[in-house]
Amino acid sequence: MANNKTADDTPLLEVSNLRVAFPTRTGMAEAVRGVSFTLGREKLGIVGESGSGKSMTGRSILRLVPSPGQVTADRLAFNGEDLLAASPRRMREIRGRRIAMVMQDPKYSLNPVMTVGRQIAEAYRVHSKAGAAEAKRRALEMLAAVRIRDPERVYDRYPHEVSGGMGQRIMIAMMLIPDPDLLIADEPTSALDVTVQMQVLAILDDLCSQRGMGMIFVSHDLNLVASFCDRILIMYAGRVVESCRASELHAAQHPYTRGLLASLPRIDEPPGDLPVLSRDPMWLEA
Amino acid sequence: MIDIQDLRVRFGQGADAITAVDSVTLSVREGESFGLVGESGSGKSTVLRAVSGLNDEWTGRIAVAGAEQGPVRQKGFYKLCQMVFQDPYGSLHPRHTVDRILAEPIAIHGLGDADARIGRVLRDVGLGPAFRFRYPHQLSGGQRQRVAIARALVLEPRVLLLDEPTSALDVSVQAEILNLLRRLRAEHGLTLVLVTHNLAVVANLCDRLAVMNRGRLVEEMSVEELRRGAARQPYTLQLLRASQGYDRATAESFQDYA
Repeated sequence: MANNKTADDTPLLEVSNLRVAFPTRTGMAEAVRGVSFTLGREKLGIVGESGSGKSMTGRSILRLVPSPGQVTADRLAFNGEDLLAASPRRMREIRGRRIAMVMQDPKYSLNPVMTVGRQIAEAYRVHSKAGAAEAKRRALEMLAAVRIRDPERVYDRYPHEVSGGMGQRIMIAMMLIPDPDLLIADEPTSALDVTVQMQVLAILDDLCSQRGMGMIFVSHDLNLVASFCDRILIMYAGRVVESCRASELHAAQHPYTRGLLASLPRIDEPPGDLPVLSRDPMWLEA
Repeated sequence: MIDIQDLRVRFGQGADAITAVDSVTLSVREGESFGLVGESGSGKSTVLRAVSGLNDEWTGRIAVAGAEQGPVRQKGFYKLCQMVFQDPYGSLHPRHTVDRILAEPIAIHGLGDADARIGRVLRDVGLGPAFRFRYPHQLSGGQRQRVAIARALVLEPRVLLLDEPTSALDVSVQAEILNLLRRLRAEHGLTLVLVTHNLAVVANLCDRLAVMNRGRLVEEMSVEELRRGAARQPYTLQLLRASQGYDRATAESFQDYA
């Protein structure tokens, strides 16, 4: 696996042998089975189909795996600090302030009875000693940074009064206002139209390069990840089956990755049957 | 097979009224596979729902198989024209077995010989007899979508209306469903109307397509032209660029088309 070290030589995030398991009537069901990677100040894509464990990997970094799920790892460290040993109080300081997370659907992630501006300002005040006026000023700046044209007007809107694309920009503004070092984005643009999706990605791209933020981008869309991220992990059944530079995805070796790529319809190919993925039980072990 | 002229659909009253579909005219030939493409709110699904009879608040003219259609459909219409929805988790009754789901349309239309019809249609969509007495929660997303397609096909319709039939599915399962639809179309001589936001899906399954934006038909083209990137309207070109993956400069160039 590529070892991307930051300038001070401590990786932003180290994950080694991460496992997430849920007890069921028939024994433990493992959603994540031994995932390891390190992350620098880069955009890392995690790709896989539903049930591959990609979202659980993202959630376990923030220790947001719902009970009774059990997270274990040989090492899960953020800036050298062991996240599994951190107290709940310490985790609350890290969540939002140091590591932020953007979820798929803004409809369910925003508080419906609070104006979006107040929610963003609240996110800032929780993690700083700023007063109300200062928080409002920063929230308006942040709305402008995610390219909302009329921040003053949008500030006083409720979530149901904004479109899906604007809702997702508001979520991103809220997550970035405490200036985190790492952003975990779980399908952040899947609910959006393609053109809006591109615009939201451009915002994330700029914020990553301007702030030197690291990013984990969880998605099922191979082409999107290949064109947006620096590096890609491909997950299958709770394991990383392959990792490669995003620009080299087309040359991927693992039959699962190759099968996924082949099953995608393409605009520039004539109509005809698509190759169907036949799953090899060996992939579960490989 | 389907002839739509000057179709308008309005929702709401007075000042709040929105025109969801604005004077859309298009026709789909018999045996053709036609794609209706657009972003959310473009009116593509509303056109399909007006054709299928799910929406009766429209003006204009809709003819299916040469027969003029009013706002309320006769039972015979549904023997001719069936619909498959996006979400196979929501469109199947959770407490009915596959057998009962497929038996219902047969009973409604008084076709008889339910047993043989159900066996045949299950084989047709690639599900064996083993699936016949299962409940939807015992099936995967792809298997459920096959059941939804079987439910539409059990009446042996000539037209199949598909509203985003693969967008809730993983790509490997999407490939299976697209292959299935292509085979069924060839075997049964079906006319397909496919509503989707995914241009690649249209390129794979359709012969012709229409692009919609904000309730209006932007342009009609053949899939051959789509493949060559030979769109004439700037909106279509932008949609094509957006489908080719992320690019910082391309994202910057996007604009709103009214």
